Amino acid sequence: MSAYTALSQAGYRAYTRDRTTLFFTFAFPLIFLVVFGLIFHGQTVEESGKPYINYIAPGVLSWGVGNAAVFGVGFVLMQWRRDDILRLIRMTPTPVSAVLASRYVLALAIGAVQAVLFVAVALLPSFGLQLDGRWPLALPVLVLGITAFLALGVIVGSYAKTPEAVAAVANCLMIPMAFLSGSFFPLDAMPQWMQSLSRVLPLRYLNDGVSGALTGGGTLTDIGVACAVLAGFALVLGAVALKTFRWSDKT
Amino acid sequence: MTSTAPHTPHDPPPGTSAEPAAVALTDVHKTYGTTRAVDGVSLTVGRGEFFGLLGPNGAGKTTLVEIMEGQRRADSGTVTVLGESPWPRNTALLPRLGVQTQSSAFFVRLTAREHLVTMAALYRCDAAAAERALASVGLTEQGATRVDDLSGGQRQRLAIASALVHDPELIFLDEPTAALDPQARRSLWQVLRDLKGAGRTIVYTTHHLDEAEALCDRVAIMVDGKVAALDSPGRLIAASSPTTRLLVPADRLTADRARAIPGVDRVTEEGGSIVLETLASGQVLAAVDEIAGLQGVQTRTASLEDVYLALTGTGTPQP
Repeated sequence: MSAYTALSQAGYRAYTRDRTTLFFTFAFPLIFLVVFGLIFHGQTVEESGKPYINYIAPGVLSWGVGNAAVFGVGFVLMQWRRDDILRLIRMTPTPVSAVLASRYVLALAIGAVQAVLFVAVALLPSFGLQLDGRWPLALPVLVLGITAFLALGVIVGSYAKTPEAVAAVANCLMIPMAFLSGSFFPLDAMPQWMQSLSRVLPLRYLNDGVSGALTGGGTLTDIGVACAVLAGFALVLGAVALKTFRWSDKT
Repeated sequence: MTSTAPHTPHDPPPGTSAEPAAVALTDVHKTYGTTRAVDGVSLTVGRGEFFGLLGPNGAGKTTLVEIMEGQRRADSGTVTVLGESPWPRNTALLPRLGVQTQSSAFFVRLTAREHLVTMAALYRCDAAAAERALASVGLTEQGATRVDDLSGGQRQRLAIASALVHDPELIFLDEPTAALDPQARRSLWQVLRDLKGAGRTIVYTTHHLDEAEALCDRVAIMVDGKVAALDSPGRLIAASSPTTRLLVPADRLTADRARAIPGVDRVTEEGGSIVLETLASGQVLAAVDEIAGLQGVQTRTASLEDVYLALTGTGTPQP
């Protein structure tokens, strides 16, 4: 068994044996879907004439997937460093890449389950999402999005020294970003300056890409642009994450 | 106390052979802010040696060990471990080292066996290696227990098994018997003696002086970042106070009579015993035999603890 396989397996077991976290990772975005779905049930966005669910479903899904990636790896890295597990791994010949790759494959698996569950619920008549024929394009968008947010989580997990710090920093990044990127409210209904501001945020492109793929809004080029920008974010944040990764808080 | 002065790296430690020493340190320094954690340490640990590192808390033991393990970088001086430099992270050297980390360092929510299988895989060893390590510390029956549900002693043994899983040449153990009951402690001693018998080198940090005396070929006593003494426990003791203490039950001998015995230097009373300190134990024992008989009389010579306390000047060993 390779170090990567062993760490993935250990991570999978730790994850599936923590029922509470497991439940809320999947329930959290669904709760938002239900709340927003009930508030805006049957309404359309004035500016575009599209039903709200077409905005809210892809938006909340994007946020949920990104949130799980940031929090998941952020908590694990902080905890592993605090509890000397990273020190334990560091004293073996295991490369950093195997550690991060094992977290990456877990994040992708969690994102995939989240997406399937979420879309299945959103398709129920009471929410009324209708899938566009190009929905499979959501897969590359989600993979690139998870990559970018995972890298962000690695950076958070490398700096934060306590669970409180991880939660505070990750929430501070993800909640304002959700509103500013149109995850919870349609960007089309927001002031122009906010729409411009959203263009520097990775979640905006994850929203755009997922929305374009699932609901058929926008062109194929829009999805391509979303993918390209997310890949750029993944590359830059990934480089910073590798640079800031620390085995230990010691000097 | 010239014979207990710090060794220079040129002193040949036991077990030296043609292959490079297990650990060779020359004038190693490490400073944190204004604190000199390690202040000019030079020592050599030979292959196959059981080497004890003693000293009060804050003496720099942990920092020194972490420098040997390659977890910290020395500010100056040279550090060679099994002929290689441990810093920066040397992945060729790491599989040859076994490091016992703190007892909390286990993969969360795994069983003892799963944890060791994971550790084995990180060292590119198979599951059989994990099973052997589990058995070597007597945890086979607890293999299916979650790490969080193990007792303190079991966690400690699992931490030691984690350091042994890949059959390393050089093993660093940090207070490995701290949470063990007397039986578990003795059975671990046996594990350690077997490892030494198999030719492994062990660097052992401990506060248990009896343990150091029983297990270690040589010990270094660190005080304020420096090596205050380095030799075999036997030689350190021999070079320290030659005074013998005789404990005679108080109902059989009065302090005044004891003082009158030729060769007695000092007499005190301690918990129901008259304590006679002497440099001529044979002569004094014979006199005590004549006056009171030898039944119930105990003889105490200096132990490593006395040497330690004299060097560290702390009065009582720190926990």
